[in-house]
Amino acid sequence: MSEPILSIRKLIKRFGGLTAVNEVSWEVYPGEVVALLGDNGAGKSTLIKCVSGVYQPDGGEIYFEGRSRHFTTPMEARRVGIETIYQDLALANNLDVSANIFLGREMKHHYLGGLVNTLDESKMLSESEAALDKLEIHFPDLKQPIESLSGGMRQAVAIARAVYWDARLMIMDEPTNNLGVPEQQKVLELIRRLRDQGVPVILITHTLPDVFAVSDRLMVMHRGRKVTEKKTSETNTEELVQYMVGARDDMLVH
Amino acid sequence: MATPDVNIGAPVATPAVARRHRLVLTLSRLWAWAFLGLMIVFFVIAVPIYNGGSVNFLTVRNSQNILVAIIPVLLLGLGQTFVIIGAGIDLSVGWVMSLGSVLSALALRAAFNAGLPLFPSVVVGFLAAVAGAALVGLINGTIIAKLKVPAFIVTLGSSFIVRGVALLMSENTTVIGLPRGIRDYGNESLFYLIRGEGGGFYFLAPPELTGELLRRMDRILSYPVVITAIVVAIAMFILHKTQFGRHTFAIGGNIEAARRAGIPVDRRVIMLYVLSATTAGIAGFLSTLRFTAGSAVIGDPLLLSSIAAVIIGGVSLFGGAGSIIGTVIGSLIIAVLTTGLVMLNVQAFWQFIVVGVVVIVAVLIDQSRELIVGRTRTGPPT
Amino acid sequence: MAKRHLIAAFAAATLLAVGANAASAQENIKIGFLPGVVDPFYQVMELGVNKAAKDLGIEVVTQVPPTWGVEAQTPLLNAMIARGDLNYIITAPVDKDQMVPALQAALDAGIKVITVDTFLGDGDYVNGPVTFPISYIGSDNVEGGRISARGLAKAIGGKGTVYINSTNPNVSSVEGREQGFKEEMAKDYPDITVLGPDYNLDDPNKAAQQTAAVLEQHPDLAGVFGTNVFSAQGAGNAVVNAGLGGHVQVVAYDATKDAIESLNKGDVTLVLAQKPFDMGYLAVEFAAADAAGVTSLPKRVQTGFAIIDKDNVDDPNYSRFIYKAE
Repeated sequence: MSEPILSIRKLIKRFGGLTAVNEVSWEVYPGEVVALLGDNGAGKSTLIKCVSGVYQPDGGEIYFEGRSRHFTTPMEARRVGIETIYQDLALANNLDVSANIFLGREMKHHYLGGLVNTLDESKMLSESEAALDKLEIHFPDLKQPIESLSGGMRQAVAIARAVYWDARLMIMDEPTNNLGVPEQQKVLELIRRLRDQGVPVILITHTLPDVFAVSDRLMVMHRGRKVTEKKTSETNTEELVQYMVGARDDMLVH
Repeated sequence: MATPDVNIGAPVATPAVARRHRLVLTLSRLWAWAFLGLMIVFFVIAVPIYNGGSVNFLTVRNSQNILVAIIPVLLLGLGQTFVIIGAGIDLSVGWVMSLGSVLSALALRAAFNAGLPLFPSVVVGFLAAVAGAALVGLINGTIIAKLKVPAFIVTLGSSFIVRGVALLMSENTTVIGLPRGIRDYGNESLFYLIRGEGGGFYFLAPPELTGELLRRMDRILSYPVVITAIVVAIAMFILHKTQFGRHTFAIGGNIEAARRAGIPVDRRVIMLYVLSATTAGIAGFLSTLRFTAGSAVIGDPLLLSSIAAVIIGGVSLFGGAGSIIGTVIGSLIIAVLTTGLVMLNVQAFWQFIVVGVVVIVAVLIDQSRELIVGRTRTGPPT
Repeated sequence: MAKRHLIAAFAAATLLAVGANAASAQENIKIGFLPGVVDPFYQVMELGVNKAAKDLGIEVVTQVPPTWGVEAQTPLLNAMIARGDLNYIITAPVDKDQMVPALQAALDAGIKVITVDTFLGDGDYVNGPVTFPISYIGSDNVEGGRISARGLAKAIGGKGTVYINSTNPNVSSVEGREQGFKEEMAKDYPDITVLGPDYNLDDPNKAAQQTAAVLEQHPDLAGVFGTNVFSAQGAGNAVVNAGLGGHVQVVAYDATKDAIESLNKGDVTLVLAQKPFDMGYLAVEFAAADAAGVTSLPKRVQTGFAIIDKDNVDDPNYSRFIYKAE
């Protein structure tokens, strides 16, 4: 097994008297899709926010690509390649696809030694087309505001954005919520494509069919603690449910 | 094995519905143009008929009048356009214009009396208006962005403070005693056209004229109009061609997304309010030139007209959509209306009624466009 | 003194009317009428303008600015000029300096200007800074101010504190009244202190607020002078609302029905009626005369006052000057 791309050691995060993440250790390797499961309040979102720089952990270590990291802002995590796609997608619905892909990182023509800068719209458009092609996503009209696109297409734009900016680890929070069945399938296909192109994906979900459809391994949390870590092929739905509700806990057996 | 393209879901709409959506979007963008065109045609036909053929609507002089008439509303509207696209609002622009008028008059007078020649004094006046206005915008923007107080409240509050300062600095009277020469800056023009016999087209300096020839002289593109056109061009460039403009749309569309994308939202928001105040300051400066006096009350009635012009021009009150050219059209509609009604001998207050109706129509069109095309906008307007 | 000018003006006007009527067949002039704002004073002036127009067979185009200010009056003026068919504009310029460029432009376009009620520059169209208007037809506002001062002083017994509430700075008419009022008080009534003026920007609500504030601050206030229609209306309301009607003496400039009502109730002690009908009528006559080739029109015509108080309010010789928009 190669070196893990992400290694979390005994991570702790507290909010006042509540310990949301309780000494969780976990590893994610390149080239895999790992599902992070747990019921509401299990701590999965909090764990991920510690990884992506939204929260600062109260204890434990995070190693990314072998180096110890302490992210104080989400921008720092993004800069090393940890991209998070939230449920609300963080897209500007009134702007078009390439504007969204380049949001905050627009390409510019520079005039007068940098005094006057204009948007290089044609370059951004061609780069966006290339990025979408790479993921084999096709939109009929790239210049439409994305508000007129379906939920699944908007997900695709969010994913394409993360990929374009060299995501080295993709974290996706409940990506198939609010999507119709055919669109869910398309998004899962996209996740597989990402993995095939070498981008590991952490998939936060409580939709068990998705776990079995697309993930290689999984980790279950319950009340802030990791309760099991398994290969997806070595478990089934009933077992997972038991882990999720706290009826089974592999970590307490010793 | 070649995998099929990941065709991520067909668009929600079928091609026919998508076509209808595009039609609705196009119509909603163009209706203001159409209305302006209709109005002009109406007046061109009605005015001579009503006046028995002696008066025409679209004369050279009248079209120049209209260009001059839109200046204050348009300038205020330009800044307002930026702010409203960014999902804010600036209720202080009217009084900032007054402050600009007073500051520029005081500075101009002081500079001239201190011995500065006319043109540098005028520049000093301009700088004073812009600096004072920008300061107000900076304060507005900072409180809105950093302290997270709603824009409506902040700009309403600052409008009262600015009004007090303007009245104080003008000592509750009109600021007069300005050098005679500035009347030319405010009222002379780039071109002069003398109609009819012995006439001609002149650039920059009219010939010495009296009587008959003077009567037939029209001023074309007065200096305030030229300055305003330049400001409009700069505004269009900033809004549609620069990163700042793109960020403005993003902030208005989804402020959270903008933040998470790394856009320095606070800095951008502050800049928006600095922009709106600065255009108001320029409007005040131009009014000082036109009326050769600084007035602390000149901006008061113009705030609502500026918002009306912006709304008519298609800026969505929810933020995230709009254009500079739309605001120009909106201002033109208001000015054409006023001028045309005067020429039809209709009393001026009808202008208010018609503008009010047009604003409501504009908002209804904005709303129904949202319904039909089904926007999903995230993030509350500030 | 003012009366002599008035008689002379009326005589001239009558002659001109006769002459102009005879000449009206040849000259078809068109006049633009652009007063200051919508209020009863200018409405009566419009009656005068329309009557003269009818008598002389002249067409008049009227526009009334909805609010008082250069930004309201100037676009209307520009539109009138752009019509291209006006020969004269009769106007009450809303600022004696700021309206100069626009009215000069009217003259350049071949439209002659007559100012009514207010003036440009310093009102001296012979030797002053502005000389292009044909004439300034209006009250002697400074004298009106003096009359108001005397009336108010008498009503309060020659001593106490009084307050001026006015409309806008730089408007020749109310400025003159303030000036005359203060001058007279300073000269003959050294025991009277004058507060103000506050500017209500021709808004009766603001006038009421400002007056109410002064009443609070000076419970011993003896009198109030409202320098025009809306100032008097607002200030008078404030006095009544404070329950001081009849105790704080009010002098009202401009004889609106409202002011007369207050006079009858005892809330106002003196009403100065100007003669806007005369101003309007004479202005049209002057235009006709000028068009007919008369070159000796006086550059200044002083229309008089009717001083109305409790004692003569029912006398038809005085009550006829109450502003009624018949």
